[in-house]
Amino acid sequence: MEQFLQQLLNGLAVGGIYALVALGYTMVYGVLKLINFAHGDLFTIGAYLGLTLLASCNLAGLLPIPLAMLAVFVMVALLVALIGFLLERAAYRPLRDAGRLSAVVSALGASIFFQNAVMLVYGARVYVYPDFLRPDFTVSLMGVNVPGVRLLVIVASIVLMLGLWAFIQRTRIGAAVRAVAIDPAAARLMGINVDKIISLVFLIGPGLGGAAGLMVGIYYGQIDFTMGWSYGLKAFTAAILGGIGNIPGAMLGGLLLGVIEALAAGYVAMAWKDAIAFLVLILILIIRPTGILGERTADKL
Amino acid sequence: MKKFVGTLAALALCILLPTQLWAGDLKIGLMCPLTGKWASEGQDMKNIVSLLVEEANAKGGIDGKQLELVVEDDAGDPRTAALAAQKLASSGVLAVIGTYGSAVTEASQNILDESGLVQIGTGSTSVRLTEKGLPLFFRTCPRDDAQGKAAAAAIVKGGYKAVALLHDNSSYAKGLAEESRAILDKAGVKVIFFDALTPGERDYTAILTKLKAAGPDLIFFTGYYPETGMLLRQKKEMGWDVPMMGGDAANHQDLVKIAGVNAAAGYFFISPPLPQDMDSPAAAAFLKSFKDKYGTVPVSVWAVLAGDAFKAIEAALTAGKTEPEAMAAWLKQLKDLPGLSGDLGFDAKGDRVGDFYRTYTVDAQGVFVLQAK
Repeated sequence: MEQFLQQLLNGLAVGGIYALVALGYTMVYGVLKLINFAHGDLFTIGAYLGLTLLASCNLAGLLPIPLAMLAVFVMVALLVALIGFLLERAAYRPLRDAGRLSAVVSALGASIFFQNAVMLVYGARVYVYPDFLRPDFTVSLMGVNVPGVRLLVIVASIVLMLGLWAFIQRTRIGAAVRAVAIDPAAARLMGINVDKIISLVFLIGPGLGGAAGLMVGIYYGQIDFTMGWSYGLKAFTAAILGGIGNIPGAMLGGLLLGVIEALAAGYVAMAWKDAIAFLVLILILIIRPTGILGERTADKL
Repeated sequence: MKKFVGTLAALALCILLPTQLWAGDLKIGLMCPLTGKWASEGQDMKNIVSLLVEEANAKGGIDGKQLELVVEDDAGDPRTAALAAQKLASSGVLAVIGTYGSAVTEASQNILDESGLVQIGTGSTSVRLTEKGLPLFFRTCPRDDAQGKAAAAAIVKGGYKAVALLHDNSSYAKGLAEESRAILDKAGVKVIFFDALTPGERDYTAILTKLKAAGPDLIFFTGYYPETGMLLRQKKEMGWDVPMMGGDAANHQDLVKIAGVNAAAGYFFISPPLPQDMDSPAAAAFLKSFKDKYGTVPVSVWAVLAGDAFKAIEAALTAGKTEPEAMAAWLKQLKDLPGLSGDLGFDAKGDRVGDFYRTYTVDAQGVFVLQAK
């Protein structure tokens, strides 16, 4: 039982990161019906920018560590949001009317561009976040010793996800985003500036992705220029699992995928965990082709 | 036409003259990658062997005869190596040292064997090189399967009773894990866990949790340093202080950076020793003269093994064994010759004998410390 709880928490921490990245995929899909393949690389850029800010600006030396972390967190989210915004302007907007296949190819190109750019700027070797940044405390939870940083990762991802959910559901701009997701043409007739909403989506999604990259950097310490690929693939899977285009679906899908992986590794075999995770995905898609929460098309986003 | 012949003769003289002038009585060949992707290894091999030749000559040579080194570049490429081997075979050398990569050495093996020359490979660890039954081939490096034996020996020596083996599905790490398991089974050490992780991931807590439930008294992860670092870090984070060990793929300073100094402290791995870590008087003396001459330390142990190959040939020549068959027979009974990387000796197949692998432990400051035998 203790082991089960431990594995559950292991899975939730991994799944929290998947969910944050998955949100970027699902939001863009919701409004543009486009899989933004460059999203995983925006996540990588977040991790590298975080390290650069911490190392070059010596923030950790100037401010108390929690404050410095918060500052870096905000700066990384803003910078990656800006890159996402520019990406949409440069690579997707000119192809808005050109059919979905062209946009997908453009997204793949953007992904390759970002990955190679990171490699050329930073080099191909592994980078390591400074060790002292990581909060070092342990919490006892129902008889299980949980590293504090693990809980922080879970809590931070849930707070970000709930914040996003409240923004989409409870504000006027959120309502506009939902309207564009349902029918861009009708939304435009209702006086919504569709281009602005799409830009906004490309600010929020990459911002969250960049923040997730920073969290991975701080928590796991080790970053390299290809890390976005595996996280991107898993997050994309999570988005489909939950029902792509659906924000609570991405959250659920991410957490579920993380937990399935941890339990498969813990109770079957480590080497089989990916195979089992994808088997579950296939089974769910056979039963519910639109994903777990994906059926209510009118309620997308 | 006369002028042309004259020029040709002059050219030939220019080429021949230096070798004529410097010709020692005993020639030794060295084949190494002076260009190409392994050039840094090859340069060091040449520097090390030249240094040892100079020292031997300064001491009066062998039986009053001076030694001469003939160097050929193999460029780390099998085809170039075949040419280099032919050149060496026709240059009148008594024996050939080299070379670095297994495939490159393999390309030269038959040529040198047919020419009746003793060859001592230096960085060629592939098992099959000495399994072919070539009577004149030796090597100063360990075989790929020697590491499993060394790892198992370290585990038995450490008194561990229940070991968890973990690899990353690469042919190197899986081979090492399987090799170790077979030997541990025979030695009566229980392998209570055997599984692979996916390299390149960030989160290994799931497998660590599972490992913890199995209750090993040692984790042996046979893979590379990035995953090793993550495992150490997350193991520490779980508050689990079981010892962990690794193979020579963990021998990289970034390991400590990834794991963090606290988490890495106490970790140990087996690896060929670096020259600067070796504690024998022969190694210390060599390292000093190398530093004096070149102002730096050798890049890796593999280049130093070329120096050991020279030491073996020098000893054979000193014993009066200049004929290839006699030299080979003498080398096969050789043992405990003080070399640069430890005691030198060869078995009947031409493989180096003795415990070449050593144990490194990470100390509280994150420094790799070579353990006494």
